[in-house]
Order: sequence, then structure tokens, then C-alpha cells
Amino acid sequence: MDQFLQQLVNGLSIGSIYALMAVGYSLVYSIMNFSNFAHGSVIMLGAYFGFFALTSFGMPFTVAFFVAFFGSAAVAVLLERLAYKPLRDRRAPFLYFIITAMGASIFIDNSVIATIGPTPKTFPTDLLPAFLQGDPLEWGALSVGRIDIAIFVVAVISLALLILFIDFTKLGKAIQATAYNMKASALMGINPNFVIILVFAIGGGLAGIAGVLYGMKYQVFPQMSAITLKSFIAAVFGGLGSLQGALLGSLLLALIETFVSGYLSTQYRDLFAFLILIAMLVVRPSGIMGKVAEDKA
Amino acid sequence: MKKTLCSILLSTVALSLSAQSTVKIGWFGPETGDSALWGQAELATVKMMAEDYNAKGGIAVGGKKYKVEIVGYDDKGDSVEAVNVVKRLIYQDKVVAIVGAQGSGEAIPVAPLVNEAKIPLVASTATNPKVTVNDNGSINAFVFRACFTDPYQGKVAAFFASQKLKKQKAAILMTIDDPYSTGLSQYFKESFEKLGGKVVAEVSYTSGEKDFRAPLTKIKAANPDIIFIPAYYNDVALAAKQARELGIHQLLLGGDGWPSDNLISLAGKSLEGCLFINHLDMDGPEAKPMRDEYKKKYGKNAELNSYMVYDALSMVVDAMQRAKSVEPAAIQKALTTTNFKGVTGNIRIGKNHDPEGKEAWLIKIVGPDMKFQEKFAAK
Repeated sequence: MDQFLQQLVNGLSIGSIYALMAVGYSLVYSIMNFSNFAHGSVIMLGAYFGFFALTSFGMPFTVAFFVAFFGSAAVAVLLERLAYKPLRDRRAPFLYFIITAMGASIFIDNSVIATIGPTPKTFPTDLLPAFLQGDPLEWGALSVGRIDIAIFVVAVISLALLILFIDFTKLGKAIQATAYNMKASALMGINPNFVIILVFAIGGGLAGIAGVLYGMKYQVFPQMSAITLKSFIAAVFGGLGSLQGALLGSLLLALIETFVSGYLSTQYRDLFAFLILIAMLVVRPSGIMGKVAEDKA
Repeated sequence: MKKTLCSILLSTVALSLSAQSTVKIGWFGPETGDSALWGQAELATVKMMAEDYNAKGGIAVGGKKYKVEIVGYDDKGDSVEAVNVVKRLIYQDKVVAIVGAQGSGEAIPVAPLVNEAKIPLVASTATNPKVTVNDNGSINAFVFRACFTDPYQGKVAAFFASQKLKKQKAAILMTIDDPYSTGLSQYFKESFEKLGGKVVAEVSYTSGEKDFRAPLTKIKAANPDIIFIPAYYNDVALAAKQARELGIHQLLLGGDGWPSDNLISLAGKSLEGCLFINHLDMDGPEAKPMRDEYKKKYGKNAELNSYMVYDALSMVVDAMQRAKSVEPAAIQKALTTTNFKGVTGNIRIGKNHDPEGKEAWLIKIVGPDMKFQEKFAAK
């Protein structure tokens, strides 16, 4: 029982990070119908923004957090303007968007390797807020790291705010309308270009938060973007284009992964993760909560 | 006046010599990727050595002076890439010998290539037995190494855990897709159980993984006395941190994948008091000249791989000098009778092309330092 509870906590902690990453994939997909594979690199840059704001510029932790949020939001928007807009203007097929996204991702990752270097970095514990330092919290045999609790809380707050924003504000409604039908909503006076920028900014900002949280939990390193592939699987699993689906998919995937590694063996973990992805695409191509059953590119 | 003339004459001689006699030695290893730190340290070391040789006019082989040129390629810590760059070293750059091959995962697929091309390879830290001896027991004629092997390392670690620390129950956390890690785990387990101990949990993760909480939770449930982690420093740092977070307070024990200048800064306090087996005492007197030179030249501390590749290249140069030839076949022949004192101890190549009787050094992590504890001589 102790082991079960501990594995549950382990899984929830990973799942909340997957969720923050997965919503970025889902948001962009809902509007533009393609998977933005450069999202992982934005997450990685977010982690570096936070890391350097904290260590090199000596900013307080909260400020560093916002630097990461706005920094990666800016990078994501820039990426859209420089890489995707020219394609949109030329009405390029979706395949071109995906190839461009992969190219951008490789470019960003290697720029970081070339300039900052490949060696992993850790957030220095003494620069973190006091409540994140010190021993893990223990209840009987259950032990939970302070950073894990913080990650869970931050993820829940950010995702709740996002859902409130999408459901209850005019801008959120504009995003929903554009996702439903871009041409019709444009005729109704919603500027699609603005909505696209907004979506990239939100996805990018959350990527920044996810990056810093991931960096605090593990390390900051250029190959981080490859790991975010898991969050993409989670987004597809939950249903690309659906926020609630991305959340559900992330938690489920993380729990399945943790229990498979905990009770079977780590060797089977990725086997199961990808088996679920394939099975889902075969049985229900739109994922658990996805509404559109178009090509998942 | 006389002096200038002399030096002009000398430099002309040196120039004309270098024009005709340069010996090319290949190096490959990871300059990027997870083990980049060690690859970069190796390349920096062999370049430093080449500069030292050349500053003295080159190495003297059979009454002739040869300048040393290092051709180095990045294998990204990837076995396919390693095969590609070694082919390039052999067929395009036409090197006479190769050093490097720090990981067993890269050295093993490369071994048949150098055998076929008959170019000697001296591995720095590839400790898996299959690097020099094939599955069928045949020896890779052209492959040698400067380090001791995993069976030996596993034996030392098991002996230490069982006899010196008096631990009965051990757990193992290994990298399932890395032959170095699985091999070392197996040898540790065999020796530990032979000595009367019991391995209560054997769990694994795949390389590149950053979250070890699931396997570690399994270890926690098995409640061992000591945890053996045969992995590389970055994984060790992450695993140690996460273990402490999960309330696992047992002593961690490791092998030669641990020593790195970055280990303690990445792991923080989570490795305090933990122990590992190393190829030398990096702070000891034997390593001092090389350590000081490296520090002066590059402004940072030499890594374990710096010392290992130092001895690997020294072995090649020593073989050339004894063979009085820079022909690959002659170097290979001389390498089989290597017996000299390197910075990492006495290197006497035995019948398996491995150094025989090389000592293993036990190191303890104390605060920010790695403190030498004791030496184990081979049996």
C-alpha cells in the first residue's frame, strides 16, 4: 500500500508537468491543425531563461519565473511570425508546417549546444524560495519532495486560470470560435492573425513555466526538448485540440508509465506508452476528448 | 649572431623534418551529448600531449623524429556515429593508431572495424570485457585498453560492500540499455552473492531518463543495506537526489562512471559519505604533474578521462618507440608487450589485451571533495 501511494504521488508529479507542456501542443493544434514540434525547444529555452535570470542576473525567484513566462511567450510568437506565418501566407500544405517546426526545433537545440554548451545545469537550491528548501515532507512511509508539491500547485493554478480564460473571457471565446471555424469567425470580425499570436503566446508562456518547473525537478539541458515528446503523446491520447483532454491524457499517461515501471519493469514503460498511443489512434483517432477526427499530422 | 644563426638552422631542420614525418593518431569520443564533458576532456588532453611532444621536436622513433598530429571526431556517444567516424579515421585520414573509445557501447561495435583494417585501438575507459574478448573467446587482436575491466571492478565493489562495510542486502539500479551498466551489475551481483550477501532488488531505467522515482520506490520497498549504482555521473546525481527525496537514506556505492568534476555540484548534498571505485586518486601525487599542466592550460580540472586517455596515448607512443616503427602492425605487436608506469598506475598488458594487476582505488565523497580511502591490488 505504501508503495502504491508513493508511486501515485510520483505519477501525479510527472503528470502535472506533462499537462503544462501538452496544453501548448493542444492549443496550437486547435487553431492551426498541425503539431508544433518546436514547442519542446521553447520549453527548453524557458528553463534556460529562468535559470540565467536566477543565477547570472541574481533576480528574485518570482521575477525569474515571470522572465521565463514572458521570455518563452516572446520566443513562441517570434517563431510563429518568422517560421509559420510565411507558410500561412503562401497557403502551404500542413506537412510543410511540421517539417518547418522540426527544423526550428533542431536549430534552437543546436544553437543552445553551440553557445551555452551541452553540460546539464541544476537550479542552485539556496537561490530557491525558503519553502522549497529543506527536507522532503513525510507522512509515514510516504515521502514527497517540496518541489513536487510546488509543481503540482503551480500546474493546477496555471491550468485553472487557462480554462477560466478560455471559457469566460471574450478573448477566450475568440479562440474557441477560431478553433471551430477560422473563416466564419473572421467574417464575424475576429482577427485570425491576432488569435494565432495569442495562442502561441499562451502556449509559449506555459512552456516557460513548464521548463522552469522541469529544470527545478530535474536539470536544465539542451536535449530537454526531446523529452517533451511524451507530453505530445499525452496530448494525442487525451485528444489534440481539447484542453481538458490534454490534462486528462497527461495524468493518465504519467500514471500508467509510473505504475508500469514500478510494478513491471522500466523496460516496458515506453512500450506501453507507445502501445497506448497506437491503440488510441486505431480505436479512437480523436483521442479521449477530441472532437475533430481529422488527420493527426 | 652565432645564436641566431643556430636557431635559424635548427628551425629549418625542424621544418624540413615536420614536412616529411608526421604521424597521425586518431581520437574519437563524445564532444556533444550526455557524456560530452568527458569527451571534450579527452580531446583536450591528447591535443595538449601532442603539443608537448611537438614542442620537443616530436617523438623519437627509431632514430627519427615524428611530429604528432591528432585527428579527433565527435561520436556523440552514439554507437552508429562511432562506427562512421572510425571508418573515416581509418580510410580517409589514414591514422596509424586510434585512442579514445571511452564507452564500451561505442568500443564494442568499433572493434571488428579496427581488426579488419589492422589499425591498433587503445581504449581509455571502455571497461566491458567484450571490448577486447569476443563472445566466442577469441581476442580482438588490434584492440587494447588502459583501464581495468568491469568483472574486476564489480568484484572490488562487491568485496568492499560485503567484507569491509559488512552489508548483507544490496539493491542495484542500472541503465538497462548500456552494456557498461548491465555488465557491471552482473559482476557485482555474482561476487556479492558468492561472498554471502543477497541482492534484494535489481531495478533499471533506460538511458536519457531523468526520473528514477518509480524504480527507486521499488528499492525503498525492498529495504536494502546498500545501493549499488553502476551508472554515469549525471544519472547518479539525479538518482541520488531523488532517492533522498523519497526518504531513501542508505549508502550509495558506484563505479568509475561516477568521478567527474560536475558530480558533486549536480548532486548537492545527496551523495555525502557515498563511495565509488576509481582508476586513480585524481588528487594524489602520481597524477599531479599532468593535473597541474591541464589546469594551467585549460583553466579547469582534468576529468578522469583525461588521465585515462593520457595513458592510452602514452601506450601508443611507448609501443612506437619500442617497435622503432610507426607502422600499425608493428605498433600492435609492441602493444602486446606493454609494461610501463602510467599516471593511473602500472600498465602491463596481459594475454586478453587488458592491463593485468591494475589497482582499483576506493574514493569517498566528503563535502565538496573526493577523498582517497584505500587501494585494492588484483588477486
